[in-house]
Amino acid sequence: MIELADVEGSLALFAEGLAGRYLHLKTLTEHNANPIDARLTQQSMDSLYLPDSLPNGNRSDYLVLVLEQIGYRECGTFNFDYARFCELSGFLQPTPKPHTQPDRDSDFTRLFARFEDPVVARRLFLLLEALRISTHIKRAYPGAAHYLQHHNANLRAQFSAHRTRLDLLQHRVWGDLHALPGLEASVLPLTIRQSSVYTTAEATCQLYPFFHHERDLLLEELNAEVSGTEWMQREARLEDWKDDQEDLARQMLAVEILQAEDALLREGMDLAGDTRDTSQTLNSLKNEREALSRRIEMERAALRHAVGSPRGQARSFRYDEWNYLERRYIRRWCRLYEERIVPEAAANVDDLRRVIRQWRSKVRSRLAQLRPLGMQRVSRVADGDELDLTAVLEARQDIRAGISPDDRTYSRRERVQRDICAAFLVDLSASTDDPIEPPQPMPYEDDDEIPNLRDPYHEPLELAPVEEPRKIIDVQREAMLVMASALDVLGDSFGIYGFSGYGHDCVEFFVAKEPDESLNGRTLSAIAAMQPKRSTRMGPAIRHTVAKLMAAGQSLKLLIVLSDGFPQDCDYGPRRGEHEYGVEDTAKALAEAAAKGIETFCITVDRSGHDYLKRMCPDARYLVIEDIEDLPDALTKVYTTLTLK
Amino acid sequence: MSPMELLPEPYYLPVGDEIDVFEAAFNARLPVLMKGPTGCGKTRFVEHMAWRLQQSGKLTADPSLLTISCHEDLTATDLVGRYLLKGDETVWQDGPLTRSVRSGAICYLDEVVEARKDTTVLIHSLSDHRRLLPIDKTGELVTAHPDFLLVMSYNPGYQSVLKDLKPSTRQRFVSIEFDYPAFAQEAEIIAHESAIDQEMAERLATIAERVRNLRDHGFEEGVSTRLLIYTGQLIGQGIAPRRAGELAITTAITDDRIVQDAVRDIIDVILP
Repeated sequence: MIELADVEGSLALFAEGLAGRYLHLKTLTEHNANPIDARLTQQSMDSLYLPDSLPNGNRSDYLVLVLEQIGYRECGTFNFDYARFCELSGFLQPTPKPHTQPDRDSDFTRLFARFEDPVVARRLFLLLEALRISTHIKRAYPGAAHYLQHHNANLRAQFSAHRTRLDLLQHRVWGDLHALPGLEASVLPLTIRQSSVYTTAEATCQLYPFFHHERDLLLEELNAEVSGTEWMQREARLEDWKDDQEDLARQMLAVEILQAEDALLREGMDLAGDTRDTSQTLNSLKNEREALSRRIEMERAALRHAVGSPRGQARSFRYDEWNYLERRYIRRWCRLYEERIVPEAAANVDDLRRVIRQWRSKVRSRLAQLRPLGMQRVSRVADGDELDLTAVLEARQDIRAGISPDDRTYSRRERVQRDICAAFLVDLSASTDDPIEPPQPMPYEDDDEIPNLRDPYHEPLELAPVEEPRKIIDVQREAMLVMASALDVLGDSFGIYGFSGYGHDCVEFFVAKEPDESLNGRTLSAIAAMQPKRSTRMGPAIRHTVAKLMAAGQSLKLLIVLSDGFPQDCDYGPRRGEHEYGVEDTAKALAEAAAKGIETFCITVDRSGHDYLKRMCPDARYLVIEDIEDLPDALTKVYTTLTLK
Repeated sequence: MSPMELLPEPYYLPVGDEIDVFEAAFNARLPVLMKGPTGCGKTRFVEHMAWRLQQSGKLTADPSLLTISCHEDLTATDLVGRYLLKGDETVWQDGPLTRSVRSGAICYLDEVVEARKDTTVLIHSLSDHRRLLPIDKTGELVTAHPDFLLVMSYNPGYQSVLKDLKPSTRQRFVSIEFDYPAFAQEAEIIAHESAIDQEMAERLATIAERVRNLRDHGFEEGVSTRLLIYTGQLIGQGIAPRRAGELAITTAITDDRIVQDAVRDIIDVILP
């Protein structure tokens, strides 16, 4: 018996090494669509779905499952193009059935629709492709061959009943060479190095008559409409369409340049111009691009519905959660996606710098008391501002004794890095979008003064330009900017992160600045681009930050959490609206951090924060800010106190 | 037969135009800076070029190459020279840099960012049109031999935030970028250097390719060509391939247990 949770750390790296890109390792239960074409695994563009546990398996079985999924990618299964297949095999492209929309179907679905019974064709194709992939694995990863053999032997024993020829073929895929001996000649092309997905499609066409009458015998579960492979092909096709879109944009630009050049030339030659030809090309390109954009949007929506939002840019991690009702951890319950905040290219850094300037003197004077720690006198150096007397004496002694003296006889002041790493974790829940002061209702002294807006003779209202009210997030962002610029001058390393999310399987963690990055225009804009998102599941975000701090390796580690209310999320506790569960989990996460030697501190702008923060933070390490505009000042105070301890 | 002709050719498989570039730089006496990850063949390349230039008669000093491995305690004195006590008198002893400046050899400063800052300033006057080496302690101003060439290497990926070359130093050199060779070339190098068969060399090159996909996790540069050659040599000496991979790759590149497990699995499935 082995659980995915036991091996997922190294297994994710194994998959990344082989695939050359990061893939989320998820459990099968996290898959939205019906997993039908593999009894054990599944994949989408950015994720591999594996069983939560393997009752009879061990680590090598997980390796085999990952290798199989990566094998499909390496063998180009998802690049299948139906039109290309028709071209290669000499078939005529069939007219689509009236109820199917060709673009909303996968190219595989269109292939299977050729057959009298698409369900049998799909099953047959998937089995033949699996056969091709397992041959590829044995060839490219010879070390995995015996793991594969062992894994398949287990599967054969587990599903020993075979009622149909397709079941026998499945056993053949699982390495039983006695199953379906008559197939030798037909499956041979699948086992050679040059085979492609089209070889499998061809073999499917050839072998279909041999299996087609098995429809009634197929299991219920196989009758699902579309398989994961088909969704995956649609994801791959979407990437191709995006490339096409870029191509069209390039072509349009080329035509536009041509047009402009033409116009200039005609002007120079004083000719009455006729640019209809290029205009027509441009129009047709424009139409084509618009149609393609619409198609991409529709396909994207369909895919999001079926396989979830794409998370190609994120890395994901799973963390335990403390269930205080049962007094136990729920293992690997929360999935956290870590993503970088990508600021808009046109973000104006000047505004940010103005905010920083406004606070600079106040914050710096407070942090100034930390600075002397930054310089240290280093003795025994070859040059410096003072003689190192001990070294001079030793050198003179050496000379007297007839030994070559060490000429490093100076000392100098050098800036020594303070060995501190701080992490600021900012709550980006939707409530941070609230204005600091609730808007006052406009008092009307007399009812008659209320303008009747429907009265056509009424003078149009002259509305004073409404100034955007200052929000909690604005102050949080400013506080972070001020803090960042001050710490940068001080030379301490620090990270700035935001968190939000919705539900235990979608905690979002946003990175504005990592400790080893310098503070520059990009990082400043990233801090400024922190936006209110969804809920506040604090526990996993704290656990993730703790993991980052531990990896950074400094001797003094600080974790400062900035929030605007208690932790809450849609499934954070048995009942919605009950906060105890979230508070307990957060308290546990903070206690875990403290146990690892991390100094934690929570700052909240929620004036009613005392009652839950008292329970949540160890040793009363919290601060409730009455006036939110004091946040930058409070933050500096807290930082100074914590680092001078 | 002169002793120079006896030296065997240091093996080097060119991956681009680096041999032509180096020769051109030598002909124009332009100092060369080689950038690239550890174990990708920078030092071997300089050895090869020194041999090559010596063979063609362009370089006459013997030895034709003086290599200085830089470390954080290396001072200007270590490079230039110092007074030593010999009996009752003090005798000036040239450092390696001064020796190569006088004799007209290639002076190769390996991992130059490791050296203290004062050493990099010292080479400024040597690396522009002046080609002079001032020796403070003797008051001497040495003009470089016409054949003298300064070559430095550094590894930009390694501790780049803390230690970096100053622009005033960097901009005195012709920079040649190195990286790990492409698959087929790397396999050829491994096969040549460790005398294992082509198939095993290709397997090792595949491992390298896959492990380098994990550069961001605890080790910055992936597995070097040098480590692959070590693995091949261990295999050639009769160590079982998986054990050789464990010794020369897995434990050599990282101490992180999780990353080690992943690398071990990658080696395990790729080796026959």
